Amino acid sequence: MLNYIWAALLISAFVFAGVSDIGDLGRDTYRNGQPLPLVLEFPEGTAASGGRTPVRIQINAGVYQDFYATDESPAPSYDGVLLRTGEGMVLRFDAGAALPEPLETIRGVSRSNDDELQGTVEGFLSPVLGLGDDPTAAQATVQFEPVRFVKMTAIGAAALDFAETAAGIAIGLIGVLALFLGVMKIAEEAGIIYAIVRVVRPVLRPLFPEVPEDHPALGMIALNLTANVFGLGNAATPFGIKAMEELQKLNPSEDTATNPMVMLLAVNTASVQLVPPVLLLALLGLQINRLIFAIIITTGLSLLVAIVAARLYGKLPGSRASDPNRTGPFGEAPPQAGRDSRRGEG
Amino acid sequence: MELARELIGLFSAFVIPVILVGFPLYGLYKRVPVYETFVEGAKEGFGVAVRIIPYLVAILFAIGMFRASGAMDALIALLNPVLEPIGFPAEVLPMAIIRPLTGSGSAGLVADMVARYGEDSLFVKMAAVMFGSTETTFYVVAVYFGAVNIKRTRHAIPAGLTADIAAMLFAVWVVRLLFG
Repeated sequence: MLNYIWAALLISAFVFAGVSDIGDLGRDTYRNGQPLPLVLEFPEGTAASGGRTPVRIQINAGVYQDFYATDESPAPSYDGVLLRTGEGMVLRFDAGAALPEPLETIRGVSRSNDDELQGTVEGFLSPVLGLGDDPTAAQATVQFEPVRFVKMTAIGAAALDFAETAAGIAIGLIGVLALFLGVMKIAEEAGIIYAIVRVVRPVLRPLFPEVPEDHPALGMIALNLTANVFGLGNAATPFGIKAMEELQKLNPSEDTATNPMVMLLAVNTASVQLVPPVLLLALLGLQINRLIFAIIITTGLSLLVAIVAARLYGKLPGSRASDPNRTGPFGEAPPQAGRDSRRGEG
Repeated sequence: MELARELIGLFSAFVIPVILVGFPLYGLYKRVPVYETFVEGAKEGFGVAVRIIPYLVAILFAIGMFRASGAMDALIALLNPVLEPIGFPAEVLPMAIIRPLTGSGSAGLVADMVARYGEDSLFVKMAAVMFGSTETTFYVVAVYFGAVNIKRTRHAIPAGLTADIAAMLFAVWVVRLLFG
């Protein structure tokens, strides 16, 4: 299942990026190779100090909309500098300028080392109509670097970005994992897990009928769900992982999920919680007080759906066939002996 | 209602300290060498974190590419005509789609919606309830199954997504009922 979803994500990303890039080329969205007309004002005169002349850039909204065939309009003026370089004159917008599309996208390609939009000044047209013979302003045309395959570049960059993020997330988990796995080890040795198992057995047994009655997995699951209910996501993860490891000890297969594993996962994705996530609290402030009741109802209902779905889908022929605990065509169980002791440390 | 909230808040403040102090204390009473045992268990933390990296990378980079390509927007445009008739507003559809894929992305979306529709709007309430009542399904799959090297996930994703879809519909319905 995951194979298909994963492949679908990748293929649709590639196809969409390709189609939208080819569409951009066809419509010439970025007007590659055509200079954009604009007006430059020189608030401090035209004398350049060190090759840099501060300018105020004015882009006429009507001209802009005609030029790029867009509904967006630029701000009345942008600050920038005119640079005299070996190759001619370069107009550079100040960093952080709020640019309309497609200039914003063009900035991603035609930019200075500091991410400022820059383009080559093709020529000045003076005197400027409507500006009289005001020497402090001039009409100019600016050419940006050609923009091609924006989306293709973007999905490539996103892949690298997210790979880095993924490793960062995992590394960030080390501390919390170590803390809770350490405490869990004590709980195991001291017999606390078994005490918890006895308490929660009546509630959890119907959900996990395949797990033996006194198995520590039930205790880990209970701790995982408790942490979830109280909105302690950081603590819930190590408990959930530990629960999975316990369930894996019961799994005759190396790499195939068992029914209890799927149930644990479904119950976790439904995320039963009485305490709203900290992130939501940070975003909405006290408004959350009025929402908590709605969240509890919704999460309760979706938990029911999760349990029913995990159970029902497990009964489908496809899921039955792939069940590592299935009994063979003559009713014999697959060989299980000796696996439990082998798997302990994972 | 207010009292219940207070109590829940109080409990949640105590859960972690009670576990972190209570378990070793009880271990001491049971004559468990608590320090050595803790270190023994904590050693696994690094292994587990490293073990989930390939699974997380596989899932997150695919989702990142999917978002960056604009396919997400197309999916939203595609689903809109189906959902509009059943009273599912187009404004919260991005949230419903992004939530199972990325936690930080959907939090960003809530922030964006607060800015666009105002804190008090029905859309923000729906999005917030969606955020609060579901988990990042693909992340949970990657982390939990990754930790035990499970590659064939069987019906885990269909079950998780069914619960997610149900939660999204319930969120719209419950918010309409309570605030609409």
